Amino acid sequence: MMEKQHHLQLLPGDVGETVFLPGDVSRAKIIADHFDSAELVAQNRHYNTFTGIYQGVKVSVTSTGIGGAAAAIAIEELINVGAKNLIRIGTGGAIQTWLPSPCILVITAAVRGDGTTREYFPIEYPAVADLDIVEGMMASAEELNIEVHPGLEWSHDTFYAGSTLSKLDILTIEKPWIDAGVLIASQEASTVLALSMARKCRGGTILCSSGCHQYPDEGASEDEMAQAVSNAIKISLETAVKLHNLDH
Amino acid sequence: MEKQHHINLLSGEAAPTVLIPSDLGHVINFVELMDVAEKVTQKREYITYTGEKDGVKISCTSTGLGCSPTAIGVEELVRIGTENIIRIGTCRAIQPYLEPGDMIIATGAVRGDRAIEELIPIDYPAVADFRIVRALINACEKLGFKYHLGIVRTHDAYYLESPQTPGDLKPRLQKWIDLNVLAIDNESSAVFVVAGMQGVKAGAILLSGYPIFEGYSEDPDLELHVNNLVLAGIEAAKILHE
Repeated sequence: MMEKQHHLQLLPGDVGETVFLPGDVSRAKIIADHFDSAELVAQNRHYNTFTGIYQGVKVSVTSTGIGGAAAAIAIEELINVGAKNLIRIGTGGAIQTWLPSPCILVITAAVRGDGTTREYFPIEYPAVADLDIVEGMMASAEELNIEVHPGLEWSHDTFYAGSTLSKLDILTIEKPWIDAGVLIASQEASTVLALSMARKCRGGTILCSSGCHQYPDEGASEDEMAQAVSNAIKISLETAVKLHNLDH
Repeated sequence: MEKQHHINLLSGEAAPTVLIPSDLGHVINFVELMDVAEKVTQKREYITYTGEKDGVKISCTSTGLGCSPTAIGVEELVRIGTENIIRIGTCRAIQPYLEPGDMIIATGAVRGDRAIEELIPIDYPAVADFRIVRALINACEKLGFKYHLGIVRTHDAYYLESPQTPGDLKPRLQKWIDLNVLAIDNESSAVFVVAGMQGVKAGAILLSGYPIFEGYSEDPDLELHVNNLVLAGIEAAKILHE
């Protein structure tokens, strides 16, 4: 019998084929609360895993902590115990001024500004979201009548070099990505997408942003942001059902 | 607005969807497969025909081989207002299960070329638009063509990664084989990045041959398969028009 995974403390069978990946530890519980039923199956460090049922489909959520390094550990260990679809549900800072606040973004690919994927893969290799997940999210959002925008994430490692709380001139740092139409700055999509793809699993990411880096003093309220996150979770759950129907 | 410097086209002179073969000869396949098609212009390696198939207006502009001329062609097509850009081309298969006649629909490209790094840092992904990918899938399914979805590797030096490469090619390509890269080509990354950076939808469908390693032989039905490739591009353009 396989030993428990070193960090996640999970065994085969502990998770569903679709696992949601919030960075925020507390969001794992919020996501699990959207399942029809859920229970905590493992907890170690910042990795909390809940497994339950949504619309008859076994689904799980594992908090990854912040950054590609921690997310990559979670993805490797989740695939080891049977995960097939890895869907990050997270937050970030929008970098296009035309996006509404809050906004929900379906990530189609990521700029590989992080270190984790550079260690894994040659930098030329693209971090691309799985087509079934992107299409599942777009269709689910339409069915739920929730506005989403498909596009790219700039994935990077240093929060204080790419957020409105930075002391650096972040709009200069971000200018190549802003000019190229990248929608949002965050940290983990490149890892989720590239690593899932390389391990022949599906990877996807949906993100919420409360405002954009160009207007640091404006943005959505906490309540509005909580609603956006809840909507992103609903879209992700419906996507999990669609993936299940494709595979079974 | 003046005519674009290389493709020699004005806004409105091309259809909303433009197929872009790198091989000038594939433009002839396009002309033969359309209900009607007329030559619009020719300058250097850029030949443009516009025609109609089943009532849908579609254009075809050849780009020449490599990312340098392709980046020019795609940039100028973007500047005249093209909405959908679909590369149709051949490639070199590197996965053992690929066969002549199989279609490879690229979801993204390894940026092994240098041209595009002048535009944007290498971290930026060369990704096909998911709506074009879907149109290409649906086109292949409608036409009954076997297809594979995945990443291709774009690079510059053909004679370093081709059946004509001297010596043992496989060790050089092993890391890409291990990363599930399907095939090698010379243009897809430029198409995806130049269009993608400007919010224009782009995709690529590539015709597979036998894997390029030991025992390689040419596709005996290449002419038929190239025709199928162009047909798939035309069908995808029709689907995008719906």
